[in-house]
Amino acid sequence: MSLLEIKNVSKIYGELKALDNVSIHVDQGEWVAIMGPSGSGKSTMMNIIGCMDKPTSGQVLLDGVDISKESSKALTEIRRDKIGLIFQQFHMVNYLTAVENVMVSQYYHSLPDEEEALEALGRVGLRERARHLPSQLSGGEQQRVCVARALINHPELILADEPTGNLDEANENIVLDLFRQLHREGTTLIVVTHDPEVAEAAQRTIVLEHGRVAREIINENFVD
Amino acid sequence: MSKRKMFLKMITASLLRRRSRMLIALLSIAVGATILAGLVTIYYDVPRQMSAQFRNYGANMILLADSGETLTQTAADAALKAIPEDALFGATPYRYIRLDMVSRQLSFTTAGTDFTQVQKTSPYFHVNGRYPENEREILVGKEIADSLGLRLGRVIELTYKPTVAEQNAGVPSDDWVPGAALSGSAEGWQKEPVYVSVSLDGEGLISSISIDASLQTPEFGGRAGTDEAYLRQFIGKKLPLEDGDVDALTGATITSGAVVNALNSARKATRTAESKRSFNVVGILETGGEEEGYLFLSLSDMESLTGENDKLDVVEMSVQAANSDELQSYADSMTQADERLTARLVKRVTRSETTVLSKLQALVFLVTAVVLVLTMISVSTTMMAVVTERRREIGLRKALGASDNSIRAEFLGEGLFLGGLGGILGAILGFVFAQVVSVNVFGSSITFQPLLLPVTVLVSMVIAAVSCLLPIRRAVSIDPALVLKGE
Ligand SMILES: Nc1ncnc2c1ncn2[C@@H]1O[C@H](COP(=O)(O)OP(=O)(O)OP(=O)(O)O)[C@@H](O)[C@H]1O
Ligand SMILES: [Mg+2]
Repeated sequence: MSLLEIKNVSKIYGELKALDNVSIHVDQGEWVAIMGPSGSGKSTMMNIIGCMDKPTSGQVLLDGVDISKESSKALTEIRRDKIGLIFQQFHMVNYLTAVENVMVSQYYHSLPDEEEALEALGRVGLRERARHLPSQLSGGEQQRVCVARALINHPELILADEPTGNLDEANENIVLDLFRQLHREGTTLIVVTHDPEVAEAAQRTIVLEHGRVAREIINENFVD
Repeated sequence: MSKRKMFLKMITASLLRRRSRMLIALLSIAVGATILAGLVTIYYDVPRQMSAQFRNYGANMILLADSGETLTQTAADAALKAIPEDALFGATPYRYIRLDMVSRQLSFTTAGTDFTQVQKTSPYFHVNGRYPENEREILVGKEIADSLGLRLGRVIELTYKPTVAEQNAGVPSDDWVPGAALSGSAEGWQKEPVYVSVSLDGEGLISSISIDASLQTPEFGGRAGTDEAYLRQFIGKKLPLEDGDVDALTGATITSGAVVNALNSARKATRTAESKRSFNVVGILETGGEEEGYLFLSLSDMESLTGENDKLDVVEMSVQAANSDELQSYADSMTQADERLTARLVKRVTRSETTVLSKLQALVFLVTAVVLVLTMISVSTTMMAVVTERRREIGLRKALGASDNSIRAEFLGEGLFLGGLGGILGAILGFVFAQVVSVNVFGSSITFQPLLLPVTVLVSMVIAAVSCLLPIRRAVSIDPALVLKGE
């Protein structure tokens, strides 16, 4: 069953076609990697899937709902309820502690629950650092907090844009292990990456070039 | 944890952990609130201060009887009920009588009054020694004290003689009835009075006479009271006396004429023609004004000297009122309540009080308004910078699912928190500021208005909220997608 269905989507900035008639579908529970050179439209696509931007033309069906036609208010609600976001830059609220950052996500979603937030931090191995401010955490630790924040509301879909771009080997592995866990739990994952190693962890890799799908690669070696 | 608790936690964390920028906003609000609270305190305190200041220049209202009649204490008390008790700062009764100091052949305007009230309505009276407290004590104007060489502790003797006018009030012929005892007076040599008293027999003819001519020249007119032959002429005569009824005393034509006038205007004797009393000088009064030429007694001493009962010339009042209209309305209601009375404002004092006040209040208004606008600009600018500084955070919050209203609520919450904190700070500092101003300018301290705190806090919060409107609009317009762009 497909969770995400992108049909003939284009995103045009003036003369520039950031996305050019792209069609993609992602199944429920699938783990997809998106690769491509810089400027190929990866982030543009993530923004559209993440309900933060609208395509110039085409349809985006998320859970059967066409999000390309929704108001920005409805998009905010969909994003809040269904999507967990992880960014390349470890975007944390810099005056809130690790656990508070996780709770911000709960706050907008439903109710802040400190116990649950601490548990999520436990999952990313940062329970001990829960009371630390972002400035007291390393880049890898910050990214792990962001992962905890993304999964706290049990989203159907996790979108990660270059989640390991700024991480060392060890932290990259921790994050990938977390993705594997999430995948096993049935969460759908779409991960943008430049790193072939990260792409190989996914079930399928979609390669974008000049705003078009250049090819798709099924990972034969995928281990569940 | 509840949503509200998380909301408060985020706001306070934002303010407490991102100190530097917020401190500037807090400071501008606090400064604005300080000036607001300070000026408002002064604004409300100034009328009180000014009133007190102006009261130092004397009473601002007087109560008089119509057409030269005298006032009674009871009528005055009844009239004073028209003024609220807490607005009536003091009411001083005065009865002015000229008393003679026979030993020096001088006479002085003497006021019978209530000294506790004098201290309220004439706070500028400066007394060397003290105000009279007991019977037979007197306060002497400095001018008199200087000219007589009086010092504290000296005793002076004062004599009361009813004036010619007092003696002659009414129509004498009504009283020329058989068996009546009459007395009268008239002006003699150099306008000094001559006093006579006679009794009439069963047919209305003079049966006995006594003449007091002690204020006339002793060797001439002064003999009128003692010259047997002269006195005998009056016995058996009928009033009024006509020309030729009695011969004038040799060398004292004027005194003799005064005796005849006194008899013809004589009325039934109602009081002793003269009384005297000695008083202890307990205070010398310095005012720099005409009061220095007066003597002051207690009303009861005055009454026992004159034999009068419950007669006043004027009641001076010190009344607290917001403006001269209010004062005038008090005066009007007193005048209307008793038609024999008139209450009047002492114009000079009240008018200057109102003009100074309204000018000052307009100034305070203007300065407050300017300060509030400046505060608003400053807070708004700071908050604008804060929003720019926090663009990524706002984008992040939106990416995490914050609705526009959440963003609004968070910034408004921070603004209100700043406003509240700045307001409390400002109310306290403002009071200190007002206190310093008051002590330095008016020389008196002010009491803390409990209402000031909530009002200042409220105004500061409103100012802060209004200042946040534009920055909030900018915050709401931030695009969440910028977070993914990873700038
Ligand atoms: N808001 C915008 N206005 C104009 N052009 C834009 C805008 N956003 C993206 N683009 C352009 O669209 C193209 C695709 O951008 P996008 O951010 O999707 O690339 P990307 O694949 O994510 O690249 P990278 O790997 O460097 O992150 C780029 O050429 C970019 O300059
Ligand atoms: Mg990108």
